Amino acid sequence: MIIDFNVNGEMKHLQVRSGDRLVDVLRDRLSIESLLPDCLSGRCGRCFIFLDGRLVHSCLLPAFKAKGTRIVTFEGIAGSPEVAEIEEALRQAGALPCPFCRTAKIMAIVDLLDRHPLPDEAVALEQLDMVSCACTDPASLVKAVGLAADARSRRKFNRANQ
Amino acid sequence: MKRERSADALPLLGALRFPGMLYASTIRSTVPRAQHVEIRHPELPPGYRCIAPADMLAENACLALPDGIPVFACGAVAYAGEALGLIVGPDAAICDELARGTEAAYEEEDPEFEWESFSSSQIAFRCSTEFGDVDQAFDTCQNIDRAVYRNGIFDHHYSEPMGAIANWEYDKLAIYCASQWPSHVRRSVAAALNASEEDIVVRPTELGRALDGRLWFPSVVAAQAGIAAKLCRKPVRILYTREEDYLRTPKQARSAITVKTAIDDQGRLLALDARIIINIGAYNPMAEELIHQAMAAITGIYRCPAVRIEAYAIRSNIIPLGAMGSIGSTHAFFSIEAHLNHLAKKLGKAPAEVKALNILAKGSSNFGSKPLDYEIPFAKIHRKLEKISDYRRKYASYELVKKRDPGSREGVIRGIALTVGYQTGRSFSQRGPSSSYSVETTLERDLRLIIKTQAAIGSESLKAMWRNTAAGILSIPEQNISFERPDSDAVAGGGPLTLSRGSSLVTKLIDRTCRSIQKRRFRESLPLSAKAQTKALKAVEASGAPALGAQLFDSASWCGTAVEIEVDALSGDPKPIAVWMVVEAGKIVDENMARASLRASAISALSLCTRGDFDPHGGEGEQYLYERRLGLAELPFIGIEFIDADRSVVPRGLGELPFITVPAAFYSALTQALGIDPRQLPLGGSEILKLLEAQ
Repeated sequence: MIIDFNVNGEMKHLQVRSGDRLVDVLRDRLSIESLLPDCLSGRCGRCFIFLDGRLVHSCLLPAFKAKGTRIVTFEGIAGSPEVAEIEEALRQAGALPCPFCRTAKIMAIVDLLDRHPLPDEAVALEQLDMVSCACTDPASLVKAVGLAADARSRRKFNRANQ
Repeated sequence: MKRERSADALPLLGALRFPGMLYASTIRSTVPRAQHVEIRHPELPPGYRCIAPADMLAENACLALPDGIPVFACGAVAYAGEALGLIVGPDAAICDELARGTEAAYEEEDPEFEWESFSSSQIAFRCSTEFGDVDQAFDTCQNIDRAVYRNGIFDHHYSEPMGAIANWEYDKLAIYCASQWPSHVRRSVAAALNASEEDIVVRPTELGRALDGRLWFPSVVAAQAGIAAKLCRKPVRILYTREEDYLRTPKQARSAITVKTAIDDQGRLLALDARIIINIGAYNPMAEELIHQAMAAITGIYRCPAVRIEAYAIRSNIIPLGAMGSIGSTHAFFSIEAHLNHLAKKLGKAPAEVKALNILAKGSSNFGSKPLDYEIPFAKIHRKLEKISDYRRKYASYELVKKRDPGSREGVIRGIALTVGYQTGRSFSQRGPSSSYSVETTLERDLRLIIKTQAAIGSESLKAMWRNTAAGILSIPEQNISFERPDSDAVAGGGPLTLSRGSSLVTKLIDRTCRSIQKRRFRESLPLSAKAQTKALKAVEASGAPALGAQLFDSASWCGTAVEIEVDALSGDPKPIAVWMVVEAGKIVDENMARASLRASAISALSLCTRGDFDPHGGEGEQYLYERRLGLAELPFIGIEFIDADRSVVPRGLGELPFITVPAAFYSALTQALGIDPRQLPLGGSEILKLLEAQ
């Protein structure tokens, strides 16, 4: 079947088979390299995308489900101030995710801060648990979430210098 | 749309594509033991091909690697899931489907699953050693104890599933794979193709956190990819799915260690007789090193005048099993620590009291080796650990609660224990971890610094620490510093590269090369290069038995770990509440980075203790895989403190320390909480409930 959908602001027109996974179509046919199909069971988080604003595992979705949707991948937000703040917070907290899970962890934090501008530790850990990679010390990651939340609220309320 | 990567990042295997690249799916045996395998594949569409051992013979390729490991099971199947052949073609999904539809005919044989009582044909490696008059010590002693301690199988859960790409590059076959032992990959592919090693080049891909799970098995996958590339004359990629990786690749070995001790009335060790049996599954080329490391660790940090050790690596018809975190020593260290706790309980003493009584003192030795030339920092670490964990008060309180209401499962069931252990920098054979590392540092005209090292860099924190070191010496911005991992052409052979042992040596070399450049920088024109190499530590090896003893401690790092746990009375789940670690590992270059690394390893080690055993005969995998890790919300407080090294200012490895000390401390805390001594790890909720009900 032929589906039309928007990926990172560009309209795409693709023919897909009923058994195709969305992650495979995005990665292999649209060359979106931030997506790593790994567990294919919605546990590792390396295939995170925003589908109509919601963070979802693209490995669990058949490609035809993308018809008429708006998809944002890491590439679509990579240059945003939100991601820059998170990257800086990770660096400051000494939480340096490995190249396999880095984009997934950033996507998870972006989603968390969109929903909870000042998340507590339990909420942060619950969200970060969606990325199953043991490369980084969780305490440093929670610290980074706090720093990113502070930076975002400072920017939002125009208090960059405080 | 490119994945955003740092300048020095290696490619991810799953992200690599080459023009005309074919994909390969593995055809696997469905039985654990058989002879005369015949593959019957469905009709293949145009462009698809089945590669089986017969094709290799026709191409004059070798059926087995230099270690005797079959590239594909040909004459005999050694475990269920062993590779029989490949289906190669342009669409990965179709290859998977064809491989699943391929059947094999065998002459099945009775599999050998039993390993604790084994036949002589199952022995892959045997080693024994004896020092002092063990028999006399047992004959004359009244306090003799014997116990068997068992360790389970555990998955490494490394960053990317196993895989390899073989690609023709002019006159060479380039192998892309993430391996801790690139020289082994090169040797294996060359042997499989009957080619010269010079015709093969190994290009490393991103390794991630490997935990010694990528020591030798990548060589087998690389050889399979190499053969497929040779036969198809195109680039070929093999990349396992996560579930396939979980079910079909090597795991931490299972062990049963029998410890028999003779002690005096005070609790001093008079003799130790140990029988170590390690199940290595179908095969493992590192069996010798595993056995030697376990033998070396069986006396722990304690002095014993008479020791006899008999150790066996046993083959069985399950997936290959081997190293994890610390090669072989976790099993042995857990056994001796658990046994000393048991002895202390029997004598009515505190475990720490009995351990302190037996500690190896300066000038003493085990196995008649050279005497220890420094004081083991046991007392210093112990005192600090007791203080920060409030050990004495908690230990006494939990004991009191247990005595007041023995066997009660009401209220809180808690326990606390501490243990002191070491990480040796020594290896025992040529297959042991390499101690030879080199670094080449170049400062370019534009003040970019390129650090070239063959070390298996699996952590971004480590790169950050090295950047910080180099930037500090040369006064350049950290973002100007990048890393390169040379191809196998530029690196000499040697043993596998285990990150923890290598990282401290590489840190030292980076420091040395940067200082050398800094000295010449304003006198000579840029670019400037400096090279440094470590002198390989001689393997502590003799013919037959390894030369054990005090030289183990020459380059050792020390760690004391206290673990406090709580057992859920209803579910039996053991929940770690807090972990404290006191570490003496020489010069700590960056405390925050070292803490982060120790915490990450401690979490893996705790998962190893609490989650159920991997079932090698089990079916569906992915669900088990993710249930075997502690969730982030379940993690305990982990406090880490460093103490100053008296002996030197050289940084030493510390990444393996949690794998050595955490299981032993966790187990001891569990025995205090439960009041029983199950003598096995891991212990999940269901096992604990069964034990409590039996009690």
